[in-house]
Amino acid sequence: MSVIRSFKASDMFKFNNVNLDVWTETYNIGFYLHYLSRWPDLCCVQEAPSGRMMGYVIGKAEGQGSEWHGHVTAITVAPEYRRLSLARKMMSLLELVSDETYRGFFVDLYVRCNNLVAIDMYEGMGYSVYRRVREYYGNLGVGKGGRDEEDAFDMRKPLSRDSARRSVRSNGRDIVVSAHDVS
Amino acid sequence: MSVALDRQIRPIYDALDTGSHKSAITECNKVLKKHPKNALVKALKALALVRYQKVEEALVLCDEVLESKPTDDSTLNAMMHVLRGLGRHKDMITMYDAAYKKQPTNEELGAQTFFANVRASNWKSAQQVASKMYKQFQEDRYLYWNAMSNVLQANDHNTPVEMRTLLYKLALRLITSAPTPSSVHSDRFHLHLTILRELSEYDEAMTLLETPAGRNICETNLACNEIRRNLMRSRGALEDEGKRAEQRILEKGDRNWLEFLSVIDGTFASLPESKGGAHAGPSEDAKEQFSSKISNTLSLFTNISVQDGRKDRSGLLGLLELEHRARRHGVSTDSVRLLHLMKQYFEIFGDKACCFEDLKPYLNLEGNDLAAWTEVLQACPSSLSTVEAVQRTINSHKLSRYNLSAPELTVDAEISRAALYISQYLEGLPLGRDLPTTELQYVDDLAILAGSVFVNLWKMGGDIKYLYKAVVLLEFALSKSEQAFQIRLMLIRIYRLLGAPSVALEHYRLLRIKQVQNDTLSHFILSRCSTFSLAASGDLTLTSECLESSQIYVSNSQETNDYVIRAFSAEKYSQIPQFILFEDWLENSLQRDITKLEYLRMRITHEAISSDIIDLELIELKFVFDRLHHDNRDFEILPNYQPKNVEDFNTQTLLFGKSEGHGWVWSFLKSYIKVFSQASDLSDVVEEKLLVGDRPQISPKLGSLKERLARREKEEMAELTPDELSLISYTDALTEWLEPFHDHVRPPASVVLADVAKNTELKTGLPLRGVDITPSLNGHVKKEEETPPITDAPEDLIKFFENMKTRFEAAKNAGHLNEALHIATIVQEAFLLFVTETIRFKPASVVKIHKLGNLVAKFKPIRALGIAVLKEMTIALESMSTQEGTSERRREFVDACGFESSEIDHDSIMNIIKRVSDSRKKVEEGMAKGLSRICTTYEQ
Repeated sequence: MSVIRSFKASDMFKFNNVNLDVWTETYNIGFYLHYLSRWPDLCCVQEAPSGRMMGYVIGKAEGQGSEWHGHVTAITVAPEYRRLSLARKMMSLLELVSDETYRGFFVDLYVRCNNLVAIDMYEGMGYSVYRRVREYYGNLGVGKGGRDEEDAFDMRKPLSRDSARRSVRSNGRDIVVSAHDVS
Repeated sequence: MSVALDRQIRPIYDALDTGSHKSAITECNKVLKKHPKNALVKALKALALVRYQKVEEALVLCDEVLESKPTDDSTLNAMMHVLRGLGRHKDMITMYDAAYKKQPTNEELGAQTFFANVRASNWKSAQQVASKMYKQFQEDRYLYWNAMSNVLQANDHNTPVEMRTLLYKLALRLITSAPTPSSVHSDRFHLHLTILRELSEYDEAMTLLETPAGRNICETNLACNEIRRNLMRSRGALEDEGKRAEQRILEKGDRNWLEFLSVIDGTFASLPESKGGAHAGPSEDAKEQFSSKISNTLSLFTNISVQDGRKDRSGLLGLLELEHRARRHGVSTDSVRLLHLMKQYFEIFGDKACCFEDLKPYLNLEGNDLAAWTEVLQACPSSLSTVEAVQRTINSHKLSRYNLSAPELTVDAEISRAALYISQYLEGLPLGRDLPTTELQYVDDLAILAGSVFVNLWKMGGDIKYLYKAVVLLEFALSKSEQAFQIRLMLIRIYRLLGAPSVALEHYRLLRIKQVQNDTLSHFILSRCSTFSLAASGDLTLTSECLESSQIYVSNSQETNDYVIRAFSAEKYSQIPQFILFEDWLENSLQRDITKLEYLRMRITHEAISSDIIDLELIELKFVFDRLHHDNRDFEILPNYQPKNVEDFNTQTLLFGKSEGHGWVWSFLKSYIKVFSQASDLSDVVEEKLLVGDRPQISPKLGSLKERLARREKEEMAELTPDELSLISYTDALTEWLEPFHDHVRPPASVVLADVAKNTELKTGLPLRGVDITPSLNGHVKKEEETPPITDAPEDLIKFFENMKTRFEAAKNAGHLNEALHIATIVQEAFLLFVTETIRFKPASVVKIHKLGNLVAKFKPIRALGIAVLKEMTIALESMSTQEGTSERRREFVDACGFESSEIDHDSIMNIIKRVSDSRKKVEEGMAKGLSRICTTYEQ
C-alpha cells in the first residue's frame, strides 16, 4: 500500500531516506535527467501517505529487433519500508508499460549472483536467469561473496509480444558471458 | 574544409576532449599562423582559453568570430560552448538567429536557434522560431514546441498575470489545429490536458479523456493519470472519480493509495466540512444520506481488508481514514470505531516498521479515547524473542511516547524510560547476531529512542551529561549497525552541540554524501560552521568543505539546461516544466548561499583583505542578493520520536537553537554588501562595463539596491542569535558613519575604468572592449566638493566590543564552549569588517589630500579596543584548552555517564569521551591561535 506516481526531477531533493542506504547509489543529476528525458513513463516513485518517499524504480527501453525490451536500471526501497511488496508493485508497473506502451518482447534486469533473496523474489514474479555476466559489478568491499558477488545474473521475463517465449531459456545459469559483451 | 586543414584541426579537438587546454591553445596557434582568418580555429581557441580561465583573451576572439556571422555547424557548435562558458546566452541567440536567417531551409539551424532561446528562457522568441519552423518544415513537433513555449512563457514569473490566459489560449489553438490528435503521443496528450486544465475547459478535457486512446494513455501513463485526477477534482466530479476508483480497486486489484483516497473523497463529496459550533453541523437528513454512503464505503474497505489480510495495508488504513474524516465532518456514528480500528491495525501491522508512521495522523486522541488507547499499547507484551516481537515493542514505545503529556514528562520518568529502552535494546541485540554488516540491526530504533530521551533530558534541564550519555549509547549502537545513517545523523548533531566539530565531520564524511545530496544534507555540517572554523590559524578543512559541497551548483548550471533541450528533442513535454523547476530550485538554493556566506566569513579570516577579494565577492554577493531563494534542505531525514507537545528532535539539536532561513541570509548579505560596496571602487557604472555575461532581471517594485539594503525586517532579524543581532547593528552603525567619507574619496568611474583598461592591455596586448576612456589624471583625483564634516564614531561601536567581552566571560564561566566560540568568532568578524571599512583611509596620501586626519584618529581607539578584546579571548581560550584534556575531567564525564552495563565497556566509553575532549581542545587551541594571528596582522 502506497501512493504510486511518476518520478519527478524534484524528487532528487526528497530521496535521501532511500539513497543513504548502502545499497543505493546516488548518481549525478544528469543520470536521472537522462532517464526522465527519454523514458519518463518507466520511472516511478512509491510514497507513504505522509508524503515520505518509500522507493523508486528507474527503467528504460532498448535493444534492436527481437531484443527490443524494457530494462530495470535501478529499483530500491528504503530500509523501513521493506517486506511490504513494494518492489513487486513497481515491477509490475514497469512490465505493464514495457508491454503496452513500448511493445517490448521482454523485461530484463541484473542482479548480483549472491543476492539470493532478490533472485528468489524475481523468480517468484516470473523472471528466469538468461545468462551469467562475469564481473559485472565492482566489489562493494563488504562481505566475501567471491565470484557470486561480482558476477550478475541477467534475468528476463517474456511479455505478451513474445508469445513463443523466445527471450528466455532454461539453462541460462550455465551460459556465461563477459561484461563487455553486454551493453 | 580541405583534408589537410581537417587533419590539422583534429589534434585541437583531441586536446579539448582530454582537457589539455594549454596544448589546445598551442595547436590553435600553429594553425592560425597559416590560416589567420579561420573562424573555426578561432572559435576553438576561444573555447580553450575560456576553459583555461583566460577570459579576457577569449573575449577578443569570441567577438571577432561573432562579427564574421558564421553558419557552419562546427564553428557554431564551438561558439555555443564558448558563449555558454561565458554566460552570454543573448549573444548565442543573436549568432544562431543570423545563421538561420542566412539559411532558412536548414532545419538543424532552426532547431539550434530554438534551443538557444530555450537556454536563455527566452520563451517569446523561442515560440516565434518554432512557428517559423512549422511553416517551413510542416512537422507536428514544431507546433508542439510552439505550444510548449507559450505555456512556459505563461508560467514565467515575469509574465503579467493578465497575459497568462491569452498565452494558454494561443497554445490550445495551436494544438487543436494540428493534423493529428494529441492522443497519438502520451506527452503531447499531457501537454494538451495541462492547457485545458489551466483554462478550466473541463468538458473538452473529459471528451478527450473518454476517447479509447485517452483511456489507454491514462491506464499506462502515471503522469497523464495524475492530470486526469486533478481535472476530475477541479471540476468537482469527486463522486464520479470515487466510483471509478472503486471499480479499479475491485476489478484490477489496484492498491494505489490514491485510489482509496478518491473513494473517500467521493464519499464525502457533497458534505461541507464541519467547523464546529452550534450551526455548523449537518442536518439530520444530510446525515442519513451520508450514513448510507459511508456504510457502502465501509463495507467495500472491510471486504478488502479481510481479503488482503496481512498482505496489504490499504483496506484497513482506508477504514481508518474514512472514520477519521467522518469524525471531522461530525457524521461518525460509532464513538469507539476509530479506537477499535487503531487497535486492529496495531494488532495486524504492529510488526511492520511503518506502523507508527501509518497511525500517526490518527494519534491526536483525548480523554477516554486516549486512556483506552494507552491501555492497548500497555497491554502489548514487551517480548523480545523474535524480530516481529521486537518491532512490535518498538512501535508500542513510539506510539505511547507520541502522546505523553506534560505530567508524564518529568526528569525521573524520562530517565526510567531511557533505562527501559536501553535494557531492551541490549536484550534484543543478539537477535541480529548473524546479520551481515551491510544490514541494519533489528533493535536500532530502541537506541534511537533512548538517544532521543537523553536529548530531551538535556533540553529540560540543560545538563550536558545527558548529551554525553546519548553519544555513548548511539556510538555503541552504530558500532553494532554500521549502516544506520539515522544514528549517524543524530550523532553529528549532538557532537556539534558538544563543541566537537571534527568528530561530527568524521561521521558526516562516512555518510558519503554525493551529488545533489550536497545541497539537501550539507546543512548538517555547514550550518553556522564559521563558529568552528580554524581558517585563521591556517586550517582550511571547513572552507574546502564549503567549496566541495558547492560543486553541485556548477554541475547544475552546466548540465540541467541540456536536458530541457533533450526533452524538447524527445518530445517529453511533461518533463520540461519539472526540469526548469529543478534547475531553478538548485540554482537559487537557500543552502547554496548559506554556504557561500559561511565561506566568505571564513575566507576573510585567513586571506589578506584586499581590493581584489572585496571586488570579486561584492559582485557575487549582489548576484546572490537578487535571488529568490528556495529551501531544499532535508530536515525530515532526522528521526523524530519526541512527544507531540515537545519540540522535535531537529529543533532541539539546532546549533544555538536557531535555523538559518531567508532572513538570516538577507541579514548577512545586507551587512556584507554594505561594507564591501563602501570599501570597493566598483560603482554600478564600472560594473556594467566590466561584467561578462547576462545579468538577472530584478523587479523594479523592490526599489533601488540602496533602499533594499537599508531595510531590516523584523522577521529577518528573528532568525539571528543575540550575538549575530549585535553584529548586524554594529555593521549598520559602522557603515552609516563612514558612508559619506567613502563616497567622497572613491575615485570616479572614469578613473577606475581607465585603470582596468590599462591592466587588461598589459595582460592581453589588446585594448579593453567597450571602454574608450583616456585617463585624464594619474592616481587620486581631488574632488571639487569639500570633505564632509568629520563626525564622532557612533557609541555603538565601542559598546559592541565591551558588551561582547562581558558576554564572552559569562559564557566561559558557565562552561558553554559553543557560545564562547560563537561570541569569539563574531567579535573577530566585527573587527575584520572594521578593517575592511577602513582600508581606504590607510594611505597617508589619501588622508592628506582629503583632510581626513581627524577621522582616522577616531579609528584608533576602536581598533585598539577590538584588538584588546581579541587578545583577552585568546588567553581565555588557551586556558580553556589546557583544562580540556586532563584525565580528571575525562573521568568526571565517564562517571557522569554512569553506564554500568557490561555490554558497553569502560574502554570504549573512555575512547568516546577522549575523542570529544580532543576535538574540543583542538577547536579551542586553533581558535586561540587564529585570533592571535589576526591581532598580529592588524595590530599596527
